Amino acid sequence: MKLWVTAASIVLTGAVRAEVLLSEDEIQKTLSFGPWPPIVQSDPSNRVSRDSRAITLGAALFNDPVLSVDGAFSCASCHDPEQAFATSEAQALGRVLLDRNTPSLRNLAGLRWYGWGGKSDNLWAASLHPIIEEQELAHSKESLKTAISESSYVSDYETIFGSIQVQEPELVLVNTAKTISAYLETLGTERTQFDDFRDALERRDLAAAANYPAAAQRGLQLFLGRGNCVLCHNGPRFSNNEFHDAGVPYFLNETEVDEGRFGGLNFLLSSAYTLDGDWSDDPDKKGAWAVRSVRRSHSDFGTFRTPSLRGVAETAPYMHDGSLIDLDAVIRHYSKIDAERLHADGEAILSALNLSEREIADLVAFLATLSKVP
Amino acid sequence: MGSETQNAPAVHVAAAAIPLAQPFSILVTICGETAVSEVRVDAIMPAHQHGLNYAPKVTAISDRLFRVDDMLFHMPGLWELQVNVDFNGRSVSYTSEIALK
Ligand code: HEC
Ligand code: HEC
Repeated sequence: MKLWVTAASIVLTGAVRAEVLLSEDEIQKTLSFGPWPPIVQSDPSNRVSRDSRAITLGAALFNDPVLSVDGAFSCASCHDPEQAFATSEAQALGRVLLDRNTPSLRNLAGLRWYGWGGKSDNLWAASLHPIIEEQELAHSKESLKTAISESSYVSDYETIFGSIQVQEPELVLVNTAKTISAYLETLGTERTQFDDFRDALERRDLAAAANYPAAAQRGLQLFLGRGNCVLCHNGPRFSNNEFHDAGVPYFLNETEVDEGRFGGLNFLLSSAYTLDGDWSDDPDKKGAWAVRSVRRSHSDFGTFRTPSLRGVAETAPYMHDGSLIDLDAVIRHYSKIDAERLHADGEAILSALNLSEREIADLVAFLATLSKVP
Repeated sequence: MGSETQNAPAVHVAAAAIPLAQPFSILVTICGETAVSEVRVDAIMPAHQHGLNYAPKVTAISDRLFRVDDMLFHMPGLWELQVNVDFNGRSVSYTSEIALK
């Protein structure tokens, strides 16, 4: 009998081995990465935001080559719904090889900036530019209007927006982009193992929280602590949605550079399709404060928008130029970052972390829990 | 707020909880009798050598009360809020530290 009790207590100690490693302060910081999914408001600058007819039409157009001038490809050619709305090429292949990596299109509703350089301040403008971009779908306003008019989508379009024939080509372009935007607003990443952990911590259910792997917990501790990742990758999307130099070279070749935020701001400030412009449907111009008051500075050169880390394990390769093949490579990049190569006039945040092999594995394990379980 | 200027009129800042990487507003109250001609507001992160990505917008609510909009702290850590008040051509600088989680 006595033996039995001992055996049982041994099993018990084994079972409580799994524990929450985080300090109270780390728990508080962890709560700021949720709850998930976030509550998103409809987009006041887009009158067809949340309109189910617009969402259906936008989804169909997104996948249809009718949006390219010669029927050569669609949005989905680069943003493949089967591959988390991205592709596995380092740099996107349009009519030529583009300079940048294709980002996933999930969790985009309600952001302050879109694109690696933040050239758009709203989702319908970010959906509009590729339609007329010469290296992408390459329509003109006129050819787009003709293509939609002659397509099988014309009746759906007219149910939402009225007769297409009386509309200026530019209005057709903006309306089309707004249906795609309405569709993209519906794309989000699912809850993950990390969210279960975070919510268990919030409920103070430490037994449930302890199911979260120890390696991921140690990775999270590094993310919050010595790694300083949380300085830029913060909030429920793990991004502050601002622009930084993460030490990725921005030279395209010997003479050209990717201007990053610097070029993005130039584009934005001459664009007709901002929240401050006439094509916004919002009489209150909510959100226009950002384009009105954003500052330009030389240190914007070669900075890029902090990417969200939700679903990140599904979207290799990484960085604005797709130069790092997997998450292990990203962590090794931060571990060995060359502070000398960071902009002289830039911010002083990143420095080589010199992580151990175990620490690298822990950070990768943590990042993996931000994606769906394979 | 603190100032290195001797006998500077007191300045008070009121803010609700400051959100991380989201816009917020503050109220600046300037004490004393001296007329205020202009108020400018800025902020920096001394440890990271950077300032605000957006220019704060200052609106006078009364002679001595100013509302500041479009403030955005895009990183957690220590921020230094800088308020510059023009009293009839005499400029006085004030600073105050804000720790953001
Ligand atoms: C040739 C490949 C390609 C095609 C075709 C393409 N995209 Fe993209 N997309 C990209 C790349 C590359 C970027 C990043 C561009 C940048 O930041 O400069 C991007 C960025 C975006 C973004 C911003 C995402 C973010 O995280 O801010 C949106 C929205 C978007 N594309 C929507 C579309 C839509 C809608 C279409 C079809 C009308 C489309 N794209 C067609 C490659 C493509
Ligand atoms: C100074 C702000 C900053 C800090 C600190 C920072 N990052 Fe980043 N992170 C960025 C930016 C900006 C990019 C995109 C850089 C580029 O493309 O040039 C990025 C890219 C990434 C990516 C690739 C995502 C993708 O979709 O391409 C991962 C993963 C990542 N960071 C994880 C981390 C981890 C882990 C840490 C801590 C060790 C960290 N970051 C620290 C700003 C930061």
